[in-house]
Amino acid sequence: MSGSSRHQMITVNVQSASTMSAAKPLPHAFEKKVEDVKVSKSDINSVIMDYLINEGYPSAARKFAKEANIEATGDIESISERVEIRNAILAGDIQTAIEKINDFNPQVRRTATLAFAPVFQLVMIIPEFMHHSYSPLGVDEKLLLLQSSVLDTDPALHFSLLRLQLIELIRTCISPSSTSTSTPAPDITPVLNFASTQLAPRAPTSPTFLNDLEQTMALLIFPPDALSPTLSPLLDTQLRRDVATAVNQAMLVSLGQRREARIKSLVRVRAWAEAKAREGGTTGGGGAVVKLPERLSLGLDGEGKDGSGGVGGVGREGNGDLREGEPDAMVT
Amino acid sequence: MNTSHRGITQDVIERAPPFTVDDSVSQLPSRWSDIDKWAGLEITGDGLHVRLTGSSKGTDEAAAVRADHPMPRECGIYYYETTIHSRGKEALIGIGFSARKVILNKLPGWEEHSWAYHSDDGYIFRCTPSGRDYGPRFANGDVIGCGVNFRTGSAFFTKNGVNLGTAFNDIGRDKPYYPSVGMKKAGDYLQVNFGDKPFVFDIDGMMRDEKAIIREEISKANTSTLHSPFDESALIQELIAQFLAHDGYVETAKAFAEEVRDESRLLKTNISQGVRGNDPEEDVDAIHRQQIRASILEGDIDQALKLTSAYYPSVLRDNENIYFKLRCRKFIEMIRTCSMLSSASTFPRKPAPNGFSRKGKNALPQEMDVDSHFSGDTDNWDSMDTEGSDTNAKYSSLTRETIEYGQELNSEFSSDPRREVQKALQDTFALIAYTDATQSNLASLLEVSGRVPVAEELNSAILVSLGKSSSAALERVYKQSEALVSELSNSGGAGAFINIREDILRDDPSR
Repeated sequence: MSGSSRHQMITVNVQSASTMSAAKPLPHAFEKKVEDVKVSKSDINSVIMDYLINEGYPSAARKFAKEANIEATGDIESISERVEIRNAILAGDIQTAIEKINDFNPQVRRTATLAFAPVFQLVMIIPEFMHHSYSPLGVDEKLLLLQSSVLDTDPALHFSLLRLQLIELIRTCISPSSTSTSTPAPDITPVLNFASTQLAPRAPTSPTFLNDLEQTMALLIFPPDALSPTLSPLLDTQLRRDVATAVNQAMLVSLGQRREARIKSLVRVRAWAEAKAREGGTTGGGGAVVKLPERLSLGLDGEGKDGSGGVGGVGREGNGDLREGEPDAMVT
Repeated sequence: MNTSHRGITQDVIERAPPFTVDDSVSQLPSRWSDIDKWAGLEITGDGLHVRLTGSSKGTDEAAAVRADHPMPRECGIYYYETTIHSRGKEALIGIGFSARKVILNKLPGWEEHSWAYHSDDGYIFRCTPSGRDYGPRFANGDVIGCGVNFRTGSAFFTKNGVNLGTAFNDIGRDKPYYPSVGMKKAGDYLQVNFGDKPFVFDIDGMMRDEKAIIREEISKANTSTLHSPFDESALIQELIAQFLAHDGYVETAKAFAEEVRDESRLLKTNISQGVRGNDPEEDVDAIHRQQIRASILEGDIDQALKLTSAYYPSVLRDNENIYFKLRCRKFIEMIRTCSMLSSASTFPRKPAPNGFSRKGKNALPQEMDVDSHFSGDTDNWDSMDTEGSDTNAKYSSLTRETIEYGQELNSEFSSDPRREVQKALQDTFALIAYTDATQSNLASLLEVSGRVPVAEELNSAILVSLGKSSSAALERVYKQSEALVSELSNSGGAGAFINIREDILRDDPSR
């Protein structure tokens, strides 16, 4: 191994001696190795399809199946339901999301008591005293239904949804548009009602729940434009994204599918391997044999090829442009 | 246990990317060395048995042997087992490993750069004649295993399938170490298993545990630095969008951008913060490339050639091999159509031009077979008339055309000196020998999936001609990951425990 890398370094030196100073590291031996790796198009295509289905982009998934001439893998049927739930969460309509999640539950759906299922999820949410008047089924049957629910098997997920619902209520209360000049103080009664009926009964079951509830309620006290660093993320829409992601993962698991798209593991292994390789052999991690370039560009739009890493702007969508490949010193 | 440890080890080594072809693909220990041994030891049974024939003289004197190859660090954990055959109860045997230069008239473990577990006292010896209490003693009939974890730099021993725990944890990566055993009593002999047979100890389970540790580490990797300031999900969306645009999946790219935009819009409902949501730019080249790809995927090679020479005249000129592949593919497509016509007709018909005639009663099951074989592939089917006489007429004229085209193709490339070109020509032309080539052993050439690599190769060539990278950023991420992991495993690090292709790209949730 060391023999081969030494050999490659010598080659680089000879070919680009005029442009490369002796003190500079020799990044191109590694770049050459990168270029020599073979990629299977069908593997890459399946990674794309896997992502589109897993993360819920049904229209793109259908188009891709057609354009790439491959079959859509995974449970296409569940996509539209998952997308509706995700969209409800992203739009802040948590009540709809919770109802749809309970409708979604694959086990419940298979039972004959389908029509009652959503009602029982609500019974679950509503505190004890409500529960008697709503209970036409025996305790055992009810437990059976509740046990198979995505949310019931994951109290933390359920709590995070309810807390998000509380946050959305607070957002409506404190947003400037809802505060008319005639009523200087916004009406926070719905917020208090929701917190005391839905979240307060659950809070004692976990210190995290209690802490989350306390923090959330603090949003009512501080002005929204001057929140502390611990509180401001609660009003950031990133929280909706995070909850939507967690819900999607829980639903996929309940369907017996992979929790996350493969591409996530791919970018993580990329980040992990680079970090490990840069640690070097001295820390017991067994670093790279060949010296790595200072920066490994992904070749995405907006990357400086000299390692400056400047990015023009932040956006969720790429404009599809391709940055040209790095010039390779081996090819002259 | 259904797989041997060698299976795992081989997997790891075989996945090494092509750039390590020279001297770096390590060979596994496969037998005891006939040369690297002390006199008095006799190696038999394909090099897997070692016996002490002479008697040793002094108390320190012993005889040791090393394996033919060192333990490869790329395998992450190296493990081998020995079965003890001794005459007396008091065997004096050392099982372990040592560096090349270590003298062989001592038991391994007593000398510098050698480590071993000894039978008479159950002690372990780390490069010194004074040992340390470690495990039980061992004797006739026991199976002793020795394993080295190169990631952690530690070694362990097993007795009859039971792990005795970490013995050493300072195994350096600076030099190669060889499996080594030594013995003192004449008549004692050892049988080794370097992985050809299943091990008594569940090494696969240990490998799985190690892999789980690494996967856990990977799942927590910080991806925010990869394309700062993008977070992980933004980076992934960017990678997907860039791939779709780069590879010319125009419709998918549009649909994806739209869906992502809709998603962002939802977030903005009651928030003033503006999020960029512009249309992906109309990329004329992307559309052209998509048209060309679609033509090839539909089997319409003429159309692809026409479009390519119209939009990118230099590409076919500069990439003669791709031009050749397209021409061959056209021939294959013609044969495909012939095959479908020949099996589409259920009527008895005239002998095919090569004199081979099929009986009508055979045609039906074959037709059904072909039908299912090409299900979902409806090109050329829609327009096809299954009226017998009409089909036969079409069939003959198409066969004539195919042969003429084949002759043309042959005259154009028969003088090409390249061996792969001649081989491809030969294989392609062989198809003409069959009335229904889908039933021949060359049927794989006719598979629709064969269009994909041709389409991809042409697409890459067009991209290069446009001054763009031939591979998308997502592919680059994959390539970089493979190269980095290969570096990590070559140096005996954590890379040995992850196989990107198998563990990530083809990860199956049921596993």
